[in-house]
Amino acid sequence: MSAVDFSDPATIAFLAAALQAAGVDGIEIEQSTRKVRIVVERDAPGAAPLVQTLQTSPGATQLEVVTAPMAGIFGANHPESPAPSSKPPRKVAAGETLGFIRIGSVLLPVKATQPGMLTGRVAKDGTVVGYGDPLFEIELRP
Amino acid sequence: MMEGQKDRAGKDCRFDTVLIANRGEIALRILKACKDLGLKTVVVCSQPDRQASYGTLADTFLCIGPASAGKSYLNRDAILLAARITGAGAVHPGYGFLSENAAFSEAVEKAGMVFIGPTARAIATMGDKIAAKSAMIAAGVPCVPGPDSALPDDRAAIEAIASKIGYPVIVKAAGGGGGRGMRVVPDAGALHASIALTREEARQAFGTPALYMEKFLEHPRHVEIQVLCDVHGNAIWLGHRDCSMQRRHQKVVEEAPAPGIAYDIIAPVAEACLKACRQTGYRGVGTFEFLYEDGGFYFIEMNTRLQVEHPVTEMTSGIDIVQAQIKAAQGIPLDIAQSDVESDGHAFECRINAEDPDTFLASAGTITALTLPSGPGVRVDTHVHAGYKVPPYYDSLIGKLIVHAPTRAEAIVVMRTALAETEIEGISTNLPLLRALFDDDGFAAGGTDIHYLEKWLKRRSAS
Repeated sequence: MSAVDFSDPATIAFLAAALQAAGVDGIEIEQSTRKVRIVVERDAPGAAPLVQTLQTSPGATQLEVVTAPMAGIFGANHPESPAPSSKPPRKVAAGETLGFIRIGSVLLPVKATQPGMLTGRVAKDGTVVGYGDPLFEIELRP
Repeated sequence: MMEGQKDRAGKDCRFDTVLIANRGEIALRILKACKDLGLKTVVVCSQPDRQASYGTLADTFLCIGPASAGKSYLNRDAILLAARITGAGAVHPGYGFLSENAAFSEAVEKAGMVFIGPTARAIATMGDKIAAKSAMIAAGVPCVPGPDSALPDDRAAIEAIASKIGYPVIVKAAGGGGGRGMRVVPDAGALHASIALTREEARQAFGTPALYMEKFLEHPRHVEIQVLCDVHGNAIWLGHRDCSMQRRHQKVVEEAPAPGIAYDIIAPVAEACLKACRQTGYRGVGTFEFLYEDGGFYFIEMNTRLQVEHPVTEMTSGIDIVQAQIKAAQGIPLDIAQSDVESDGHAFECRINAEDPDTFLASAGTITALTLPSGPGVRVDTHVHAGYKVPPYYDSLIGKLIVHAPTRAEAIVVMRTALAETEIEGISTNLPLLRALFDDDGFAAGGTDIHYLEKWLKRRSAS
């Protein structure tokens, strides 16, 4: 399949209508050179959709939100760890454990998927979080 | 509130927090019943249902997985873990999803919680058509003519069974249900080919090739009996319903009581159902479904859960069935005697589905405007509102329109007005179909059979 041209308004309008019809708020499409996000207006059929180009030129800052992989009780530190991890902002590596989800006796680590600057912790320690709830924000700096 | 006590096996049934493992209108219905009983609620949801407004009414609203039902509403582990971290003492499964899953009932109880529904054993027995039929015969519940055992493999033996029942017969998969895995055999010539085909379907779809055979009724109505049992051996029935208006085995309109079926005719059948409940140690609410033809009742299956159409019986009996179900699960003995159960007036329920009224294709999208009917004898059970986005992932039911009036004829008039008042914009719904149906003379006369709607739809599309 050849790459779709997302600078073409007809393509965007077609996709927006399809999303609206399916009751979908938006879509993110990743191509080799860039990533495009199309968000449609829920209450205004036919209104111009919001089109964001998320990744084009190298060096641009991008925000990654790390979400809860399952419902559980959030903890920023391992319960048996003597020293709490340093607070944001701090640099994190891909695969670095950022916090934990506890369900009974099971402790599930939440890891950074990409390296970057951990800029914020969204969830509060000890609270119940649901699947997909935002936990951390990482600024990706390629 | 911590009311309730121990069941007959000595298990403590008390709980103060209910986890509702369902979505949509029934999640809201159960939530309201819990609130009225002073119970705390945990509602679990999938990612697209985070938008549901009933979430704000729950004490805890927790997303447990992505859109796919298999990873959220059917995900036993995720639901049990959610119950654990939120401190729920009971799980209400609603209808559909895990409501008739024996393993789920067992897992909930093993985790030390109360399953608001029957025991795993009762669910498994009623889920197996052959086992269910045996239990019914033992209690004297009338069944469709045919043996209460699986068909043998021997061709001559099968032929003998079919000619003893008399053609036409129907061959069904023992593990089937919902209209799947069954085939009508009009005469002896089609017998063996039909059996071979159904057996293969059963093997593939239900994991067991076991089949059974029954007399095929040609013009039956669908009539069902609502029962309510506590954990102390008490059982009552709350009335009967007619759910003959079906399309592809899906009910579209239900009513209570079933028109033209006198109390004296149905009461002995209901008594036999209660006997079956006592004999099997059944607890909670349940529905015995029958085919009704020429004055005879023929058991089809028992639904071991709350049903979509429970409101029509609530309207005629004045009993809140969901509250009664929860109280029974808490171990509270029934406080209503059979002689106290009334059948007052007539009630209808229309299922409002987000679907094209002609093609029946599901219609997802945003509800841009919504007008719901109100007034005496009108009730709407729904979770939707203007701005609500109907997700494409689940059942198309978005609400139920229920009316109650002194007579059936008056209830039809109330429903016509209520349907005319209802406006849903932004998505397609079956409202035009429901309006046309309530203007149909055959329907207004009452007592139509289960094929009526399909034939009516064919005539409409032809003209």
